[in-house]
Amino acid sequence: MAAPQAIATRRPRLAHAMLQSAPLLLSLAMLAASIVVYCAIYLASQHRLPGGFELTSTVNNTMPLAMAAVGQSFVVLTRGIDLSVGGIIDLTNAVAAVAIHDSPASMVGWSLAILAIGALLGLVNGLLVAVGRLQPILVTLATLSIFQGIAIRVLPQPGGAIPDAYGAVLANVDAPISLIYVALLVLGWRVFRRTRLGVSIFAIGNDEPAAAANGIDVRRTKIAAYVLSGTFSAAAGLFLAAAATAGDATTGNSYTLTSIVAIVLGGVSLFGGRGSAVGGIAGAFVTSMIVNILFFSHIDPLYQNFYEGLFLVLAVTAAAGIGHYFRRRA
Amino acid sequence: MARTDAPAARLPVLTRERRRILYACAAAVVLFLVGNVVRPGFASPASISAILVVASFVGMVAAGQTFVILIGGIDLSVPWVLNAAAILLATSSLGQDGRAAYALVLTLGMGAVVGLANGLAIALLGVPAVVMTLAMNGIMEGLTLGLSGGLTCASCASYAPPVVQAAIHGSLLGIPTALLLWLGVLLVVSVLLSLTVFGRSTYAIGNNARASFLAGVNVKAMTVALYMLSGFFSALAGVMLVGFGGQASLGMGDPYLFQSIAAVVIGGVYILGGRGHYVGAAAGAVTLVALVSVLLAMNMPEYGRSIIYGVIILVLLLLYGREEGEA
Repeated sequence: MAAPQAIATRRPRLAHAMLQSAPLLLSLAMLAASIVVYCAIYLASQHRLPGGFELTSTVNNTMPLAMAAVGQSFVVLTRGIDLSVGGIIDLTNAVAAVAIHDSPASMVGWSLAILAIGALLGLVNGLLVAVGRLQPILVTLATLSIFQGIAIRVLPQPGGAIPDAYGAVLANVDAPISLIYVALLVLGWRVFRRTRLGVSIFAIGNDEPAAAANGIDVRRTKIAAYVLSGTFSAAAGLFLAAAATAGDATTGNSYTLTSIVAIVLGGVSLFGGRGSAVGGIAGAFVTSMIVNILFFSHIDPLYQNFYEGLFLVLAVTAAAGIGHYFRRRA
Repeated sequence: MARTDAPAARLPVLTRERRRILYACAAAVVLFLVGNVVRPGFASPASISAILVVASFVGMVAAGQTFVILIGGIDLSVPWVLNAAAILLATSSLGQDGRAAYALVLTLGMGAVVGLANGLAIALLGVPAVVMTLAMNGIMEGLTLGLSGGLTCASCASYAPPVVQAAIHGSLLGIPTALLLWLGVLLVVSVLLSLTVFGRSTYAIGNNARASFLAGVNVKAMTVALYMLSGFFSALAGVMLVGFGGQASLGMGDPYLFQSIAAVVIGGVYILGGRGHYVGAAAGAVTLVALVSVLLAMNMPEYGRSIIYGVIILVLLLLYGREEGEA
């Protein structure tokens, strides 16, 4: 996040800003590169450039992962990890399929209620981690199992019906209006980063004892991070329901791992304190672009996970190498 | 950590680690008793032996997981290393006894090589263990699915060689061979951890990698070796499972990630490394499988098992947490 005025002042400030946001810049460069490759392969196989339909479907397909990645970022920035993301998506998706009916009041009311459920599930995680003083990876592994179980209880078979009007708002198939949500998320993050809570999250991720010594309420900050993660996972569940126009109590399972992949590609450090939710969103889009690229380069879909895994390793290794290079020069 | 209230200035026999192992064993015994109340005959020798055989599969994976967790790592590549091993054993042996030895060496070697790749990336390139093993799981999944054509290849319908099947199903002196194998692994791993330089170094790295490096421990080589062991044990579990079930299937490794981590933690191994023992993890595996068996005996539906599973782990974690100040 190179502030504009930094350019006008001294060089060290610019260099510092570059160094601070190097992971984010890298992930944005990766996103740009993957879009270029995608367009090239699309052009080669379809003899035209991808148009509005491709844009809309890509954005709609990516929104749930983008939401989950934003949620995961909050927790990972505090040096935690949230493996229950998939379970919260399962449960909120199932509740959405069962509860939402075809009236504006029901749609708005239940959407808010489901976000509140997500926040509540996140609160459970947060309390166990911050007050129970347990390891985040274990707490969220256990709650993942619990949330998945409740989700199957709520919706034993895939089904339910999501009104078309709901899909038109969250996952419109005719226009990429979901880009508005992406813009709002980016804008919201930039504001959040400067708030007291935002600063506290980065502080405890960097050095928890020092943050506590400086008067930051570590417990409350951690709980807030898990609550935010739960809320955004619930939003992911809603976006999934809207796109599928039905619910499935196992649909979210893969998001636990893909949300971690997305934030890693987005330059968020798993050791906490470094990165941004914007990077997580970029990482989510990179993941989608890779799937698109593999599809249009006619690679056997059975090999998809192989190439995704390989790309993840290469990207992380390359990012670490570039990071070393910058640090040595700085 | 010597407790100051212990009589004389002697180290207590019952350290925190040993108490945790006892808790895990006690939990398993309690579960067998509860199961016997719910369904008489649950704690009969035949039933106990059947449950222990199932626990031995979890126990194998947990052995590898214990090694990497002791140095503060984690192995998320378990599911598809296990699955790939099961499929590789069946397809490379074509169900023939004559090819069984070759297939076994190939399969276990594959597990070790995957672990080697994990270890090299983690130790030399500095890729976080979570990311590397997660990516490796995807790589193995893609390779397994792709090379076997989604388990539709000509040799994919092969069974495990009868020798391997007989070895897993057989028994010696009335004890199933799967259990004997597990006892052997338990013994070897325990000796390795408790009595050798290798074990000392493992604990040292888990407690403080930098200090152990300065003390002359080859941290990188140790890390690579431990991830290789984890890959090996995942592959061994895959071999045992395909020998037990006869045929390989897709997704057969999926439950073992959660269960291996849960078993290790229930057994009192500290998730950030440096403390704990495989004996605990083995007891944790028995506890876990006994719990599932009790819930099944109670005709608990899948969702209920999933919920109770999570709750029990949380309760155990909170009990362990109460005992000390650490997170």
